[in-house]
Amino acid sequence: MTSDQGKSSFLKKGLSRRTALKGLGASAGLIMAPGFVRYSQAQSSAPIKVGFQAHRTGIGAAYGRWYEKTTMAAMKAINDAGGINGRPLEIITEDDGTDPKRGAEVVDKFANQHKTDVVYGTLFSHVVIGSAPAAGELKIPYYVVSEGHHVASTKLNRYVFQPGITDVKSQIQSTAPWIAANVGKKVTMIFPDFAFGYDHRDYLPPALKAQGAEVIAQIAIPPTESSFTKYFPQIPAETEVIYHVMVGPAVLTFVKELGEFYGSNRPQLFGFIDSLEAVDINSPGLEFLDGSHFWEGSPRYAQPDDSDGQKAYRKAVGIDDNGASVDDAKDISTAAHMFGCWETLYVIKKAMEDSGYQGPADRGKLVEATEALTEFAEGPEHPQGPKVFNGKIHQVFGIQNISKVEGGRLNVVHKTSIEDGLYEPEGDYTTQPL
Amino acid sequence: MSHSRPSSTMPRPLLPATIVALGCALLPTLAHAHASDRGFVLLLPTGHYIAGGAFAVAASFVVLFFVSPGVVAGLARLRLPLARLRVDGRVIASLLSFLLLVILVAAGFTGSRDPLSNPLPLVVWTLFWIGLTIITGLFGNAFAWINPWYGPYRLLRHQAEPTAALRPWRFGYLPAILQFAGFAWFELVYPAPDDPWRLALVVALYWAVNFAAMLAFGYRAWSRYGECFSVFFRMVSRLAIFERTSDGRLRLCLPGGKLHAAAPLPTSGVMFLLLALGSVSFDGFMRTFAWLGFVGVNPLEFPGRSAVMLPNTLGLAAMVAALSAAYFLAVWAGRRLSGDGDWRRAASLLVWSIVPIALAYHLSHYLVALLVNGQYALAALSDPFSLGWNLFGTADNYISAGLVMGAEAAWVLWNLQAAAIVGGHVLAVVIAHGLASRLRDGGAMLGQLPLTVLMVAYTVFGLWLLSTPTGA
Repeated sequence: MTSDQGKSSFLKKGLSRRTALKGLGASAGLIMAPGFVRYSQAQSSAPIKVGFQAHRTGIGAAYGRWYEKTTMAAMKAINDAGGINGRPLEIITEDDGTDPKRGAEVVDKFANQHKTDVVYGTLFSHVVIGSAPAAGELKIPYYVVSEGHHVASTKLNRYVFQPGITDVKSQIQSTAPWIAANVGKKVTMIFPDFAFGYDHRDYLPPALKAQGAEVIAQIAIPPTESSFTKYFPQIPAETEVIYHVMVGPAVLTFVKELGEFYGSNRPQLFGFIDSLEAVDINSPGLEFLDGSHFWEGSPRYAQPDDSDGQKAYRKAVGIDDNGASVDDAKDISTAAHMFGCWETLYVIKKAMEDSGYQGPADRGKLVEATEALTEFAEGPEHPQGPKVFNGKIHQVFGIQNISKVEGGRLNVVHKTSIEDGLYEPEGDYTTQPL
Repeated sequence: MSHSRPSSTMPRPLLPATIVALGCALLPTLAHAHASDRGFVLLLPTGHYIAGGAFAVAASFVVLFFVSPGVVAGLARLRLPLARLRVDGRVIASLLSFLLLVILVAAGFTGSRDPLSNPLPLVVWTLFWIGLTIITGLFGNAFAWINPWYGPYRLLRHQAEPTAALRPWRFGYLPAILQFAGFAWFELVYPAPDDPWRLALVVALYWAVNFAAMLAFGYRAWSRYGECFSVFFRMVSRLAIFERTSDGRLRLCLPGGKLHAAAPLPTSGVMFLLLALGSVSFDGFMRTFAWLGFVGVNPLEFPGRSAVMLPNTLGLAAMVAALSAAYFLAVWAGRRLSGDGDWRRAASLLVWSIVPIALAYHLSHYLVALLVNGQYALAALSDPFSLGWNLFGTADNYISAGLVMGAEAAWVLWNLQAAAIVGGHVLAVVIAHGLASRLRDGGAMLGQLPLTVLMVAYTVFGLWLLSTPTGA
């Protein structure tokens, strides 16, 4: 045990914040050094600079912390294996305050001040949408890890990619066959009454219908609501499954009140782990969820059939078998989403290697090389599972996990196929000029 | 953005109406509004705490009915002599502090761009604004020693400043009010107060402007009325348990004991204290579902600070205005009830009872930030320029965010916060009682009733702020 801790703390200390700091310090030193301009022309030995648009403050900070940890872990793994095109990878972190306006400023700063090769890592959709125009205008590739459908909708621009995490439309659609076949055909949806809920409201019914199931009621809850009992009588008696995607601080209250409403005789429950991402599933009030099912992008808890790649990824990032920090059992990771940071950095690496990327002048080539990618095999670089990439819509597709809450854990009971999540492209970015 | 419409087989009249009402132009976005630790607080019987807290503050007033003001005055005068400090280390301490400030500002300009790795934002917002305020309120005015102006000032002005510098200052606390208002706006409304580069610029400008003002008006005058942190910390330190007399003796007293003999504040000084309390209150209020809903922002999809600058600027001003109006109204009503018509004098004296409330708000609202960001600060200080240094051996410290996460931590933190809020208000009632004995009516209980009602209300407000859902 002691030696294990030693190892993990070596990993932790080696990779986390500090590694980035040292890298940054090196570049800060360069900027101050007299020979800086001449040195920077030596492209071949200079680091590949990835601008990390991070939610270090603001509403996204809780997620941002784990996105940062995963990013630093991936950077260390890439550098330990020789970097990108023989050059070290350097992550330059800029805080966007989870604010779209600042997000655009940060993209500008990366392009013009830090002169990073690409911008990467944004989670919150409104920041992605606010920053994408700047990336397009500055012609700097912008790799997001946001899960939103905005990239795949082809409403952004040619420089925006989402190659490391599936989009919500695909996720919702993927779960429908399993829900219809395993938990019930009459579904009542409870969702927050804003855009996040609307994705589910709009994408689930047609997907279920294709499987011979139906949504029999949709209950939209105002975002400012903090007590929910008054909405539960709207749930039709014949409901077999309650599909719930509540988010925000009142989620725990929602679950508790739902439990009080139904007691032990409840319909099946299916939810998205977004509701309880980074929250201990064994928290008081959540007992009612025992036996219910959740979508997970990547499993929070270690599974018996985890691949070697998954095990190595978990160890590198520093999460234990419960999905918490190895150093801090109460610090539950955002496991369902943060793998996307790891995989995205490896996609950037692959595209840079494919295109023989040398520097900002090759950004166009990098865009085309990314668009030319088609699939990623499951492995150390893609620990969540195999993926198919659609270069026309800049969106990756992959498997989804359906997990059951059992004995205070989330156990994966089904993995969807990639095909479950495919849909007709809504456009084609490659027709846009570079 | 094309939404696929819900299937036409959808029954239930509720649904189409909802969809029509919502329109179709909304971008589908993801909310990652974290269930967060406020979620655990929502499960606690916070309503009982609020009722209990209000009762405790009201009951303390009733108990005081049976305690003569003389007893409170006697307690306030209790002193335990500790030592005699003949050494005046202020110049050295201030010069060291100035040196540290220079290093931090340089780090802000050239160090890490990550506000959780660069020491400047962590020191300014966490160690200085949160930590030093708490230390000052509990123990004493450390800022009188470690402010970064006194040392440099004495280097330029070898002589003690001219006594003329202490001539009556006709602007009162107005410069401090303006500067503190700017500070509060920068902290609460400006989109990027944590940005190391921008913060470095602001800190450097603030130091330079105030140093110039000290050279122009004299250090003592400007630090008494103009430089807002000197003013703030000096006021807050009146609550602290240590006292240093003019002849250098260090003495221990009860919390708030020094407030009993405090001189009345001019109206501008009263406004300064109300501004300080109002700004911390707004820091809590602006994150609540109630405020976000009021300004038309979805708390689960907070659009970022840059989208709410105008409403939050107005809200900050309105909060201070409302608190001020409530305070002056309560004092005025008290004077009416007791028949002592001099409400201005009462307002200038009783405002000191705001100090424990301000400290309680500060402690409870920033407790979580102090616990987590304090760890980041200790780590960042070991490597201020991100050069891989480890000056104090803390650079590799693991940052335990789990310290404040989960149901158990939420319970502990909530109880600490509630104790601070209720304790602060009870102390405020006691201090007001003692101060009231210096008024013309000799401390008639009836005259204290309206202010007590305000304090009960502010207890309820403070506990509500800490227990209501938040989203920003």
